[in-house]
Amino acid sequence: MATSAEAPQRPEPVELPKRGKRAKRSPIARRQARTAYVFLAPALVFFAIFFYYPIADILNTSMLTGQRTDEFAGMDNYTNAFEDPQARNAFKVTLQFAVATTVGAIVLGMGLAVLINQKLRGSLAFKLALLVPYLTSIAVVGLMWRNILDPELGILNRILSDTGLPTQEWLNTHPVATIVAVTLWMTTGYTMILFLAGLQGIPDVYYEAAKVDGANRWQQFRRITVPLLTPTTLFVSVMAVITGLQAFGQAYIITRGGPGEASDLFVFHIYELAFRSRNFGYASALSVLLLLVIVAFTLVQLRIGRKREVQY
Amino acid sequence: MNERVSDERVTNRMHGERSTRMSARPAINGQWMTRRRMLGVAGGAAAALPLAACGSGAPEAESGGGGGGGTFLAYWNNAHEYEAYKDVVAQFEKDHGVTVELQKFQWEDLRTKLVSDFQSGNVPDVVEEPGSWVQEFALSEDALSLQKYIDKDGAKIGFPDDWLDVAVSDNTHEGQVYGIQMHYTCTLLFYNRKMLDEAGIEPPATWDDFLAAAQELSSGDVSGTVLNDNLSYSYPWMLQNGVHEYDADSGELLQPRAAAMEAMQFQRDLVHRHKVSPKPTTSLDVTRAAKFFAAERTAMILTGPWDIPIIKESNPDLEYGIAPALKGKRQATVAGGTTLFVPAKAKSPDLSWDFIKRITALKTETAATEESSMLMPRKSWAKESAVQENPDVKPFTEGLPYAEEFRTGIYTTGKAGELEDIYKTLYESMLIEGADAEEAFAAYDDAAKNILKG
Repeated sequence: MATSAEAPQRPEPVELPKRGKRAKRSPIARRQARTAYVFLAPALVFFAIFFYYPIADILNTSMLTGQRTDEFAGMDNYTNAFEDPQARNAFKVTLQFAVATTVGAIVLGMGLAVLINQKLRGSLAFKLALLVPYLTSIAVVGLMWRNILDPELGILNRILSDTGLPTQEWLNTHPVATIVAVTLWMTTGYTMILFLAGLQGIPDVYYEAAKVDGANRWQQFRRITVPLLTPTTLFVSVMAVITGLQAFGQAYIITRGGPGEASDLFVFHIYELAFRSRNFGYASALSVLLLLVIVAFTLVQLRIGRKREVQY
Repeated sequence: MNERVSDERVTNRMHGERSTRMSARPAINGQWMTRRRMLGVAGGAAAALPLAACGSGAPEAESGGGGGGGTFLAYWNNAHEYEAYKDVVAQFEKDHGVTVELQKFQWEDLRTKLVSDFQSGNVPDVVEEPGSWVQEFALSEDALSLQKYIDKDGAKIGFPDDWLDVAVSDNTHEGQVYGIQMHYTCTLLFYNRKMLDEAGIEPPATWDDFLAAAQELSSGDVSGTVLNDNLSYSYPWMLQNGVHEYDADSGELLQPRAAAMEAMQFQRDLVHRHKVSPKPTTSLDVTRAAKFFAAERTAMILTGPWDIPIIKESNPDLEYGIAPALKGKRQATVAGGTTLFVPAKAKSPDLSWDFIKRITALKTETAATEESSMLMPRKSWAKESAVQENPDVKPFTEGLPYAEEFRTGIYTTGKAGELEDIYKTLYESMLIEGADAEEAFAAYDDAAKNILKG
């Protein structure tokens, strides 16, 4: 039993490191940090050579102009970008594409994941069937859908015509919607798997408790599934926006950016400027602007996502 | 706060333990991904594609055979690997002790690869190009002047006297020759002999005849004509109305403007008003019209000898005829064909020149024509019996004298690629989308102004 003489002494106040000053590391911690850097070095070298140097080079090139990209242009390429109607059109088309593919990826991916999570017979085959398009190259997918959708030579119109239905010419009349649909056909399997992983991380006890409280299926989906999938939804939306803004193969293979400039995706526009027009300076400036847009979108999405993340 | 929550902890929490944030965050290597990590992944991915788009398409190969071993690298069109050239290549390899690697591309991919090579400085030894790049690359100092070789060997190989004048001038920049024309072709009217005979129609000679024939021959699954997806197939119509893409004297585009609008409107009307041609589509496939023709789903197309192998392979029994180019305000057609040139940074230009001489020798040209019906730029070639007696080739030898370039001089703007892009937009907006000529040309002018000021 503690006596007054043995009364516990107040602990010595711990001196915390002052704000702005780093705590002094122990020799062991320093050694561990050195070891960590040694292991990280190959990756850092790889990223420095293949990511950061090209980015620095593109920043440099974006301030040059001329056929040989050797005349200093200062910020002219950037100011031109804001006045260029073709660049503005490409950006508008790309935004439409990115928004549509992102919303589509979330709705279809989540919907299919919920369906497939019902432990139905044959769900593995269903998962595989949905995932195969994602494993296929955009070149193959693009050519396949081009051949299917060609208004005159395509298989789809042959079938529609043989069955007496009106034929389509979506490649000409709705080129952006067509490449959005092809992209979703290709990527939905992947987003479904991500949502499925998220769904399987939600404990059954929530649903059991909700059932006891009398919640129906729709209420369970709205109040439990959707909120608890917020981190997955955030991840899917961030990745879908990034890949949507960077999309290239769809325009290159399926529509060639046309008709006219109707499906001129931004990266395809950059490609055309660089390799057809040999305007590497301007193409580099547009690449830098795209990078900034993507980073800005990502930060906004993360901020919104963090606010909506739920706790139980 | 720890964002990783095991099922056990969640279960405990449900039984009254303090709340921990629940997360179904995606995982990498068994670790839940934090926001910062996620942003890192996202940022890395963001940077990757625009940069990756600047990559090249084909596998790299060691370049620059200098004789006595090594690889001699040639970029070639994927449709032009004729047996006649294979024999020449075999002899070249034997004589110089090198291995010739012909890397084959479609034109668009070849350009992407080549422009990447120019940027990197790692270039091939010789390049076949589609007939409009040599002057552009001469202007940008990426092509090597062949003048010193021509001064030395020209008389021996018959250059320039034995080449058609336009085949020389199209490869000349500031008085120096930068490329040697390898093929020289033009576009003429192909027609289905049986369909025209059955309808009692003579091959059309004028635009009006063409429209009347197309209307007469359109029925059911068969369309009177098929306008090609590729914008270059609109050039003959423009030339027949006296229009060129660029007027070097005034610096103006698509002049005379009224004639340009009329020519484009005529093509638009074939599709949208008279409905004698299906709408073109946006694709890389320039053989679409030939496929319709071979399948006997159209009676007439405008094309060149490059489509003859496709037509014959697809439908060997098809009886077709080749008529002279149509007359609008005048009779004209577009000259085309490919040129061989040497990149300025090629490692062994002497070897490259020897390769060009062999490929463009009269004997090689004649053998290639016998094999493929391809047309060649030498005047003496046209007199060869193999050419005179070939029914697929003879009409073209008669068409070449009035064939001309549509894009003459446009390379001097330094904006040939960008101007071609806006012409493509003009072509597609009118022929595919059915845009009004006034509106489409106004948009073209706005875009051109923006390009030329830059």
